[in-house]
Amino acid sequence: MTIINVSNLKKAYGANVVLKGLDFQAQEGEIIGVIGKNGAGKSTFLEILMTIKQYDAGTVFVFDEDIKALSTNRLEQVRKQISVVLQPTQFYQTLKVQELLRLFKAYYKSPIDIETIIADFKLQPHRKKHFDKLSGGWKQIVSLAIAFLSQPKLLILDEPTTGLDPHMRNILWTYITDYNERTGGTVILTTHNMDEIELYCDKVMLIDNGLNEIFDTTEGILASGYTSVNAFYLEKVSI
Amino acid sequence: MLATQLKYDLLMFSRELFYLVFTIVVPPVTYIFMGQLFGDQTYAGNLSYAQTYTPSYILLITFTTVFFAFGFDQVTHRTTGVEKRIRLSPVSKSTLLLSSIIRSVIITSFGYLFVYAIGMLLYDLQFHALNFITAYGFFIVLNAVLLVIASVIYSFFNEVKSALVFSIVIFQVVIFTGGFAFPISMMPKFIQIIADFNPLYHMNNLFIAVWNDRLIVDSGALISICYISCLVIAALIILHFSNKRQI
Repeated sequence: MTIINVSNLKKAYGANVVLKGLDFQAQEGEIIGVIGKNGAGKSTFLEILMTIKQYDAGTVFVFDEDIKALSTNRLEQVRKQISVVLQPTQFYQTLKVQELLRLFKAYYKSPIDIETIIADFKLQPHRKKHFDKLSGGWKQIVSLAIAFLSQPKLLILDEPTTGLDPHMRNILWTYITDYNERTGGTVILTTHNMDEIELYCDKVMLIDNGLNEIFDTTEGILASGYTSVNAFYLEKVSI
Repeated sequence: MLATQLKYDLLMFSRELFYLVFTIVVPPVTYIFMGQLFGDQTYAGNLSYAQTYTPSYILLITFTTVFFAFGFDQVTHRTTGVEKRIRLSPVSKSTLLLSSIIRSVIITSFGYLFVYAIGMLLYDLQFHALNFITAYGFFIVLNAVLLVIASVIYSFFNEVKSALVFSIVIFQVVIFTGGFAFPISMMPKFIQIIADFNPLYHMNNLFIAVWNDRLIVDSGALISICYISCLVIAALIILHFSNKRQI
């Protein structure tokens, strides 16, 4: 089943044309990594998929719905099936971690027990800390915990592992892959860590000069003669 | 959902020292302080200090609450990315808005009762049930007016710093040109001219009149009502266009 279908997507900020006709598809259960240098338009692309950013031309279908033609109510229904981790991660600063989880549990009407989430994400020592007192890494973990509260069909992560130590990265990826295997949910993420792409992603899309220069399976890229996704990236993308 | 959102909105407000100081502490303290200095004076219409300044300071609490805890909060959430994250959650905009409005009404009502109690304890303010209800009803209308105006004003800010500077400056301007510190008639001419453009000055005059059961629809009251109404209509038009869905 096709979860996302993007065709000839264009987006500019004034004179700065970021996306110049991008095509993209995501099927149910896929983990897709979106890569490209800083300012390539990765976050813009993800925010369009999240339905929170306007675009200039092209078509974007999410769950078979043309997001440009949706009513506010229908858009809310689509958003219910999407969960996100934004960059930078921000929530109400003065709420404690456990309060944030309770609030978002109410937003998503989630059946998941808060205590389970706290235990799963090892948030016990931080549950009574205010969100703004957490380190960047723990903010990311809380953000991911909240994202999983909604049991989404589509998970969109904007640089989710930035600032995380290897253990945290490992925990985070364990959750992402487990979620993917258990629910068949689709994951789309951006990252600058090519090892993560190679280890965990089914497909890779390289955005360069506003276009999806490469959109292929990870195996396909490695089979074309590159020793690693990192080597592929370094060759394809100039500074 | 609304009850949960409201609970956390109130909790967040109670944890912001900045909001608490400007909303719950500064206006009552100023009310007491000014009363100690000028409590024996008689004011326009032969009104006592309590009759003149109790409604004024209730209005001041309403202003600070709405502008700081409602308007400034909006800017903070918009600029830090909280608004974006909340927008991605399946909580309706109307729930968030309604929660903010109820929060403001609760906090300002607390301020209303607080200043009222101080007035009764320190300045011989008399309680009349019918008058109390009328004044409270008018106070809710003023609350709504300020919420609409604050929403528009703060929608123009994209930086917390500039919103903060604006909030502090506007607080001073409102204090001096709204008739909260001294009667405007005692102020220099240029302050009186600025006061004419200050909606809080007009609201203050109307509220004092309603509070003391002396509202007469004369030219002065009509000008005040028309000016405030025009501002609200303009604000609602701006809000209508700025709230149009982006996708």
